Amino acid sequence: MRPVRWTAGLLLLVAAPWIVTELVPNQQRYILHVLIFTALYGALALSYDLVVGHVGSLSLAHPAFFGIGAYGSALLGTEAGWPFALALPAGIALAALAALAVGVPMFRLTEHSFAMGTLGVALVTQIVATNWVDVTRGPLCVTGIPKPQVGALRIVTLPGFYWMALAAVALVALLYHALTTFRLGRAFHAVRDNEALAASAAVDPLKYRMLAFAIAAAVAGGVGALYVSYVGVLCPGELAVSLTVNLLVMIFLGGVGSLRGVLIGAAAFTALPELLRMAPTWRMVIYGLLLLVVVIRAPDGLDALLRRRVAASR
Amino acid sequence: MEDLFEQLIYGLTLGSMYAMVAAGLALMFGVVRLINFAHGEFFMLGAYAFWFAYRVLGLPYPVAGVAATLSMGLFGIAYQQTIIRVILHRSWHVQLIATLATSIVLTNLAMIVFGTQAKEVPTALASRILEIGGLRIAWHRLLVLAACPLVFVALWWFVHRTKPGKAMRAMSQNREACAVVGVDIERVALWTFALGTLLAGGAAALVTPLYNIFPDMGALLTLKAFAAVIVGGFGYVKGAVAAAFLIGITESLAAGYVSYAYKDAIAFVVMVLVLLLRPQGLFGRRLGI
Repeated sequence: MRPVRWTAGLLLLVAAPWIVTELVPNQQRYILHVLIFTALYGALALSYDLVVGHVGSLSLAHPAFFGIGAYGSALLGTEAGWPFALALPAGIALAALAALAVGVPMFRLTEHSFAMGTLGVALVTQIVATNWVDVTRGPLCVTGIPKPQVGALRIVTLPGFYWMALAAVALVALLYHALTTFRLGRAFHAVRDNEALAASAAVDPLKYRMLAFAIAAAVAGGVGALYVSYVGVLCPGELAVSLTVNLLVMIFLGGVGSLRGVLIGAAAFTALPELLRMAPTWRMVIYGLLLLVVVIRAPDGLDALLRRRVAASR
Repeated sequence: MEDLFEQLIYGLTLGSMYAMVAAGLALMFGVVRLINFAHGEFFMLGAYAFWFAYRVLGLPYPVAGVAATLSMGLFGIAYQQTIIRVILHRSWHVQLIATLATSIVLTNLAMIVFGTQAKEVPTALASRILEIGGLRIAWHRLLVLAACPLVFVALWWFVHRTKPGKAMRAMSQNREACAVVGVDIERVALWTFALGTLLAGGAAALVTPLYNIFPDMGALLTLKAFAAVIVGGFGYVKGAVAAAFLIGITESLAAGYVSYAYKDAIAFVVMVLVLLLRPQGLFGRRLGI
């Protein structure tokens, strides 16, 4: 039964552009746009959960790595004229290198201090992006970022971007599953649950934390590169702390440390504002309140509620 | 030479502001073991409360300042009663995310209520300039420099000489032992949050006439105050105050002589350097506040 359901779900997702065109032809562009954002946010939230949910380090530096990947690939694409096939991996590599460089001092900190230190990384990255006008163009934004092109395949249409985003989130989900399930996953969880015990069993906490941190940053950089290739513009505001809040809402709403939960959270998060149709500031107030209520009342998220419901009905 | 002296005065005023904010943060961390991510937003709210009392209601400066400070104290009590009480015994993850969520809600509510345009609240003292030789200092800066030590003397007196203050010190040293001998933990937490928020409100009432106020000023301030708390040695109030002045002066000198645009990054760089060279903080790890 399960493989059938899986295949049906996958087919449905792949065929979404046609289905949307058939069902709501006049809103097709808008719905596809929301779906693209959902997929990209899903991939970003999964990468963030690798650090927060699986090695238990509350990093607030994720917008920095997203931004380094985005700015890296955007500037290489516009200023240096690199093709997308080179600019994307370069963005990924830059983000991973930044994470390794920042991780060494940051992981000397624990708990609150780590969170504060990484928040500092995010703020400084945004300050640099705003003020290093010669390179990033500062508040004038990087514009005219080329559309993705690999060989003869050039992505320009909305369905094309949708499939690109879908492939990205599928790839990241596979990576997330592989990293958190097998031996490596057990090492991550050992470090998260009891650092001293893990260390005494020759599972080096620093090594595994750095690994998760760097991989998460690489994925965030990749998502950043894909994001700017879709939107075409990149401003320093994209690196704001509010991105971290969005990610926290997604993973806590859905369920920390759970693949399905994080994806549910990302989908609920991107669908919610579209349903509410509110001004951005009110949106942030509601997200903040939502985060507050969820983290206090239901820290396991929607996924745990769902699982309990299923278990109760059996 | 006058230029350097002026920058130092700017640094000291900035340091006074950071010190009062950081002292509240250090108190909260030292006594309750909780990092209040919304602390910078308390300063922001205090600044708007002062703006409201001074510009909208038209109260004279001392009255408006005291009113803003006291209203922030009440806000701190409300904050403790609604949010802190619920998360006091939860894991640090929950505490951190709950206070972060509060800061986001406050920032965006302030944007809705007051608008994103920066506001200025210059007082008569802020525009009157004292000239000594080639040196020009606004009288209001001198007021800040004079008031800041008084605030800290009062804080020292409260923490060392009053009963709630002694309970706070006891709790910062050993929470379990306090509970065993019958210290009401919730009550001490209430005092701590009222006092910490009062400090943020007082700092806002003192320095707001010198700086612009805008809704998202809180995040950077929380970061700098926390940098001071880390550099000063985690929850050790005197250390945090000293470190706050260090950060204020460094930032002001950096703004004057290195780069104005990057001055906000300086506090963070100082924090990272201290963490690398002296992970226990500049003054060593202490027991208690």
